[in-house]
Amino acid sequence: MRAESHKGGWYHRAVVYLLFLILLLPLVGTLLYSLATSWSASLLPSGLTLKWYVQLWSEPRFLAAFGQSLIVCVGALVLSVVLILPLLFVVHYHFPKLDALMNILILLPFAVPPVVSSVGLLQLYGSGPMAMVGTPWILIGCYFTIALPFMYRAITNNLQAINLRDLMDAAQLLGASTWQAALLVVLPNLRKGLMVALLLSFSFLFGEFVFANLLVGTRYETLQVYLNNMRNSSGHFNSALVISYFAFVLVLTWVANRLNKDKS
Amino acid sequence: MSFVSVQKLQKSYAGSPVFENIDCNIERGEFVTLLGPSGCGKSTLLRCIAGLTPVDSGHILLDGQDIVPLSPQKRGIGMVFQSYALFPNMTVEQNVAFGLRMQKVKADESQARVREALEMVELGSFAGRYPHQLSGGQCQRVALARSLVTRPRLLLLDEPLSALDARIRKHLREQIRAIQRELGLTTIFVTHDQEEALTMSDRIVLMNQGRIVQSGDAETLYTAPVDLFAAGFIGNYNLLDADSASRLLQRPVSARLAIRPESISLGLDGELDGQIRSHSLLGNVIRYRVEARGVEVVVDVLNRSSADLYADGQRVSLSIDPTALREVA
Repeated sequence: MRAESHKGGWYHRAVVYLLFLILLLPLVGTLLYSLATSWSASLLPSGLTLKWYVQLWSEPRFLAAFGQSLIVCVGALVLSVVLILPLLFVVHYHFPKLDALMNILILLPFAVPPVVSSVGLLQLYGSGPMAMVGTPWILIGCYFTIALPFMYRAITNNLQAINLRDLMDAAQLLGASTWQAALLVVLPNLRKGLMVALLLSFSFLFGEFVFANLLVGTRYETLQVYLNNMRNSSGHFNSALVISYFAFVLVLTWVANRLNKDKS
Repeated sequence: MSFVSVQKLQKSYAGSPVFENIDCNIERGEFVTLLGPSGCGKSTLLRCIAGLTPVDSGHILLDGQDIVPLSPQKRGIGMVFQSYALFPNMTVEQNVAFGLRMQKVKADESQARVREALEMVELGSFAGRYPHQLSGGQCQRVALARSLVTRPRLLLLDEPLSALDARIRKHLREQIRAIQRELGLTTIFVTHDQEEALTMSDRIVLMNQGRIVQSGDAETLYTAPVDLFAAGFIGNYNLLDADSASRLLQRPVSARLAIRPESISLGLDGELDGQIRSHSLLGNVIRYRVEARGVEVVVDVLNRSSADLYADGQRVSLSIDPTALREVA
């Protein structure tokens, strides 16, 4: 019995490691390529160097694209926090019946393929009083709609877990105003859901290409559009770009996890 | 003038009334229980008194002042919830101090009062813990301390024991009552559990379908139910229709009759013959189902020794205490 389960354990572990290896292999390959002086006819790179990274991180166009990506993503996330948190609070505290309607609304950004909705957005915002195609504003607005489902779902789950009504009632009977109750009691308990939602949306939006390319393109180049435009340049350079991007998201995830863990 | 006086209170949800014309008075220092089945309006009444649910019309006087126009923050009422409603992001100490923080009480005074409140519920050494590190009973004691620390004029308890297991429930019941007596705090307790109501209250207000059925001390409610609902809800009354009652007592009875199971005694020789149908052991009491003259009644007998136990099918005789018979409408 015991030997069997041990054998089973070994087997399970092997499958997991194998899967891990398969997933990791392309990344390791890319990493190696980004560090190689040249790597064409041989089994292993002929030499290691950091020159591609140096070249990348001293390229003004890359730095601009990186910064612009950050601005668009952070802008969209700030907008969604400012709009969605109060919305969720109102829906769950005052109008619980609206939750069903909200669940349909938040599915819409997923129901319409990005290419289709960009055509629509181009029509609507291409000219006229609200012309903002080619500016970061349209991307921030569009990314807001993409972040909406992530934010709404994660925070809703969190809200349902904390028994919002009783907490609000208790705080108010102890003398807190609705605002004080929301800020001191409800908001701190939504931190976990909010962090998860922000992280998920950020990594999704940071890697978004279709909307960025169609709505704005090179007029306000984001990281993914820049990567696409550089596809004909050196493969080593592009690999360094991909690895830098990956490392950034990884570090961000790690930091967010640490921040989430320290208190609870 | 009573300390709390509920007058002609009305509340309806989406057109259907939860309760209508509720009148109820509570004296200073009294422990009153609102007892009733779920959906009878007892929790809504409590929430109306707290100000968490708006009323349609009527008055609630607290110490002579109508509190209906006041927001919950200004009523000076403490409340304990079934779900504890502790703030998960705060320690026990911060939870208890929350009300004082809202009242802007100075730090050193606040600290002393928090400590005092935690000592009162015997949780002095738990100040630094978070709610998720406590058991259900401990959580509810923290919630009690939190509502006491602001020195409310009136304490409301909304089924505070319903989520706890039996042993802790019993202990906490005694603790709540002892603290309430010590502070002389006017308290309204809501429950659907008759045992809780009977053991804790100075007075019980029995509610059904949005109206007050009967109000009185435990003894009165238990021995003198005013109607069929009261008799059915409290105790384990035998409720006999007029026909069965006439047959059993061998005299004409015109109304339904309620007989408490412990007011019937069993023996071996007597006038009224019966046969044991089944029995179940409830601990210190044995509950028999006995058939006599074609009527089945429940009889509770104190479990003194196993030698007294009647076997199923055994012939016995019943004697019914005539003063314990209640006709109910």
